[in-house]
Amino acid sequence: MVTPAKKRAVGRSKLQREQTLTFIAFTIPGFLMYCCFLIFPILMGIYYSFMDWNGISPSYDFIGLENYADLLTDRKYKAALLFNVRYTLLLIVGVVVISVILALMLNREIKGRSFFRTLYFAPAVLSMITISLIFKQIFFYVLPAIGQRLNIALLSSNVLADRDLAIYGVLFVHLWQGVALPTLLFLAGLQTIPQELYEAASIDGANAWQQFRAITVTYLLPTLSVVLVLVVKQGLMVFDYVKSMTQGGPGGATQSIALLIYNNGFERNKYSYSITQAIATGLIIAFISFIQIKYTSGKKVE
Amino acid sequence: MNASKRRGNVITYVFLTLGAVLILFPLYICIATTFKTSSESAVSFFTLPKSLYLGNYAEVLADEKLYYAYKNTILVTVLSLLAEMLIMPPMSYALSRSMGHSRLFRNLYYFFLLGIFLPWQVRMMPVVKLMGWLNLLSPSGIVLLYLAHATCESMFLYVGYLATVSNSLEEAAYIDGATTLQTYTRVILPLMRPILATVLIREGLAIWNDFQMPLVCLNRSHKLWTLTIYQNNFQSEYSVDYNLAFACLVVASLPIMIFYVVMQKQIIGGLTNGAVKG
Repeated sequence: MVTPAKKRAVGRSKLQREQTLTFIAFTIPGFLMYCCFLIFPILMGIYYSFMDWNGISPSYDFIGLENYADLLTDRKYKAALLFNVRYTLLLIVGVVVISVILALMLNREIKGRSFFRTLYFAPAVLSMITISLIFKQIFFYVLPAIGQRLNIALLSSNVLADRDLAIYGVLFVHLWQGVALPTLLFLAGLQTIPQELYEAASIDGANAWQQFRAITVTYLLPTLSVVLVLVVKQGLMVFDYVKSMTQGGPGGATQSIALLIYNNGFERNKYSYSITQAIATGLIIAFISFIQIKYTSGKKVE
Repeated sequence: MNASKRRGNVITYVFLTLGAVLILFPLYICIATTFKTSSESAVSFFTLPKSLYLGNYAEVLADEKLYYAYKNTILVTVLSLLAEMLIMPPMSYALSRSMGHSRLFRNLYYFFLLGIFLPWQVRMMPVVKLMGWLNLLSPSGIVLLYLAHATCESMFLYVGYLATVSNSLEEAAYIDGATTLQTYTRVILPLMRPILATVLIREGLAIWNDFQMPLVCLNRSHKLWTLTIYQNNFQSEYSVDYNLAFACLVVASLPIMIFYVVMQKQIIGGLTNGAVKG
């Protein structure tokens, strides 16, 4: 005899089977796409990094770890790595300082706040290429014109053509566009702070700086870690700006890792070697972002 | 209002206005120059154009490459977003509701997350070879690459969002005898609307503005170029004629600027949400 309870149990397991099958069907297209066009190319890359292929010739040989060994003594790679580290550190400082200040200002109750917000965010929707190309022309024609008229030696020639200054030119453009999103994130963070805290603190006699350190900074820490993840990734992999503004020049002064990999792989026919560089760099970056995310999610307080 | 607060507001205004000038100045130079002849802008960059010279725009608009670039960019963006909307939300729903009890789905989730950590450069060169073999070095071909990439990032956003959606509504649907597919399309999908908007805007902007993928996959014939490639190549061709180069940049970024002015609130909301959760 079939009891109602048994019937329900049978019904449930049938339902469970139907659900599992549907869920598997839901997952298959994405899984295939991911395996074919993301995982498989990475495996291909690992394979080629043990070869000496130039990317064109029909045959190539297995050379073991030679590409990886070459990497250790490659001066260009080391220079690019140093460029990226320096660039990223400067970018972090610039983005965090500027966007926190902007967010604090945009958080004040002033007239025209939404106008400023709209304007300050506009650079974020344009492509990096458009921005770089506008600034490339400005660095080339406009700034020298201003510099000569005002007798500022620093500006009277093209900043991007100067070995020592080019990195700051690129950085300026990156900051011009790159502070937009962090500013909004910090602004959103500021709006989560209960105003009573400030009132209580000022009754207790804390001055503005003490209030900023004790309350504002504490509440902005979760946002800060999000911003750091974003900015570190951007800085270590910077490509669009240097590719379109300086081509890595002058004399390799702004050659970033991403650009070096691109040039080796597509322009200099060092196919296998450039993949080796990409894998080594990828491991470094994966390690850094893993640490960052682990540290962040462990610390986040709601 | 007390004195120190008023002083603070004055300082704020001064700084924000300076910042606004810093943002608007390059854009002003860019737009003003497009309405000048090259001899006029050689005299001064900074003045307003004497008359609205339209020759630069006429020349840019007469270039067939521009229309290929528009067509390809729209094609790539729209196809990618459609496919992403079709594939990723149901997959994320499956992962979200099975991860708790099924080891298979939990491992799949971690497998999909792997891709977030690895920068695109790691697969850049092999991807070009692979797409070449498959005869997919075309605008519709790179849609597959964007989809593969979206698997990690948008899946992560969707699953995070679904974790906050209580499952009482879907339980009710199952008790009423709905199949999983029906429950997904009638109950879950409508509930996911806010995160769908976030992902659409994030992915849409990223794909529209992307330079690296088209650069390595589509930089062969101008019939395959997207807008970013077109702008880049146009400028290397006409770098001396900056009036023309600026006109090209303005024309190419016009759609995104209009989009921003119209959808400002959604765009800001979408990008902020996506970054915090992503």
